[in-house]
Amino acid sequence: MMNVVSRAYVRGGAQVLSTGLKASGVAVNSMANRQAHTDLQVPDFSAYRRDSVKDSRRRNETAEERKAFSYLLVGAGAVGGAYAAKGLVNTFIGSMSASAEVLAMAKIEIKLADIPEGKSVTFKWRGKPLFIRHRTSAEIETERGVATSTLRDPETDDQRVIKPEWLVVIGVCTHLGCVPIANAGDWGGYYCPCHGSHYDASGRIRKGPAPLNLEVPTHEFPNEGLLIVG
Amino acid sequence: MKVIYNTLFKRTSTYAVAIIASAFFFERAIDVTSNTIFDTVNKGKLWKDIKAKYE
Repeated sequence: MMNVVSRAYVRGGAQVLSTGLKASGVAVNSMANRQAHTDLQVPDFSAYRRDSVKDSRRRNETAEERKAFSYLLVGAGAVGGAYAAKGLVNTFIGSMSASAEVLAMAKIEIKLADIPEGKSVTFKWRGKPLFIRHRTSAEIETERGVATSTLRDPETDDQRVIKPEWLVVIGVCTHLGCVPIANAGDWGGYYCPCHGSHYDASGRIRKGPAPLNLEVPTHEFPNEGLLIVG
Repeated sequence: MKVIYNTLFKRTSTYAVAIIASAFFFERAIDVTSNTIFDTVNKGKLWKDIKAKYE
């Protein structure tokens, strides 16, 4: 049924087309036949038009002005959008950074005048024990004289300290993480009671199962008598 | 207007640059203005106003 109708339509269309082609010489087409509405007035849209296009003499010269106005509006919106977007992105990225509370705990400030010479003092820093050792000149001399070829983890004393009198190490044994005992062991530095690792007064592993020297955290001496670790 | 359109708005590249550049100044202006307004409204309550009493 449908097929018959569509075939009829196609045939009909073909007929129209052929007659249209035949009639083209006498200008009979659908547009030319619409002559009934020429008496209608074109509505007055001047209330909606820009002033610059109402003047028929200037009409063709104001395209840039009109476009500049449109682009200016869009551009102003884009500027506001860019400002808002920057604020939003800043907020989200800022939420990833460490909070002030965490940053305050990340550093430790130590008054060095409280630590007498030859003593090792333990502090808690980032949840780990921190050893600050005020070394005697005899200890400094001994550690400087050690040949790195005899060491398991070769590091010179100068690589491990900033000021030779002050040794700053994290008090976690590099073997299995026990806390070593200060001023003990065969080399007079640190001794780990768990499995018997001996560290010297520079925190270097000398004997026992530990594979590495005690870790030296980043630290600085901003002025005389003050140490900041972190 | 004609000059602005032809130099800045006609090409997308210059248009984008103009937007980004003016966003920079716009941000600065907004921040300074809003901070000034905040400080004027809250004058006498801010730490920088009462700091002298505690130091």
